[in-house]
Amino acid sequence: MERKIPEFGRFAEPSLLILVSLSDGPKHGYAIMQDVEQGTGRPMGAGTLYAALARLEEQGLIEPLQPVDRRRPYQLTAVGASNLAEQLRGLSEFAQMGLRQLGKTSP
Amino acid sequence: MRSFLIRCYPARWRARYGDEFEAILEERPLGPFDVADILLGALDAQLRLRGHGVDTQHARRFTMSLRIGGIAAIVGASLIVIVIAVTGGRTEGSDNAVTIALLVALAALLVALTGMSAFQARSNPWLVWTAFGLTAVGTLAILIAGVSDLAGVGPADWRDGSLPIGAVTAALGSAAFGIATYRGSVLSRKGALSLVIGPAVGFIGAIAVSQNLWELGLPLVLVGIVSFLAGWFTLGVAAIRLDRTSAFKPA
Repeated sequence: MERKIPEFGRFAEPSLLILVSLSDGPKHGYAIMQDVEQGTGRPMGAGTLYAALARLEEQGLIEPLQPVDRRRPYQLTAVGASNLAEQLRGLSEFAQMGLRQLGKTSP
Repeated sequence: MRSFLIRCYPARWRARYGDEFEAILEERPLGPFDVADILLGALDAQLRLRGHGVDTQHARRFTMSLRIGGIAAIVGASLIVIVIAVTGGRTEGSDNAVTIALLVALAALLVALTGMSAFQARSNPWLVWTAFGLTAVGTLAILIAGVSDLAGVGPADWRDGSLPIGAVTAALGSAAFGIATYRGSVLSRKGALSLVIGPAVGFIGAIAVSQNLWELGLPLVLVGIVSFLAGWFTLGVAAIRLDRTSAFKPA
């Protein structure tokens, strides 16, 4: 859990969800919101989305593409893809550790 | 209502995201959750953009190190290739221009090493800075040997100067830098591997040559040099590509 995106504060989780959403190709903001809602069952507000998008863009983890009818798609950068893979590996290790501990204490 | 919510964001933020944000708000009716979320987002943007100047400078320095490192790596590796092509690899007894070109190339590679180390130091800082230190010391020793030679104050036999120990130290450092880069997996892993393989193969070749095993040693030295130069060139290209995609874009 030490591999959270630095300097993202309470936007760390939305940022991770956005990176995962962009991992299969570029998407604009509304498509990301729909993707996240479909994947997690929870809506992501536009305020949260853009606060996280601005941070991700500043950190160079995503980049904007040319807008189409005011909708601007975003895509992962090479650094973003590497960062996402590292975070997912960290989460996977953490989940495995939790499951192992649960297995030891379960009746 | 939408217009009011967007106006809660700072002007600089609206200039960058205003259009696309408005388009999103038009996609569906706004509920109380949306309004609260947008107001919190606007507050966050207002607070965050106050300290933006410092962040911008930091990000620019960060990407600048990557850009300068990438360009220096390509220049340094290319210059050495040109020198080898012009002299046919026989630099002994050549004029000062060749020595100066090699020294400039080494200085460029030192700049490349500094820039890429600064970029990669966030992950594996111990390994990155150890590799940097070793390579920098080795390269400086080679530079001192070269400048002494140019000034005519160097030893009669180059083996008595700081060149051999500098070359070995720089080769060890380059290999360590290659390992750190490979582990970091942000820049090119192929380039990093070349940087590890080059000095190792070249070192074995140099030992073979010193034992008068020319037929074995010489090809290994050549492979080592090609691999070393290809490694720096590939890392340089990777750094510039990465810089293009990760460059900070001010709001």
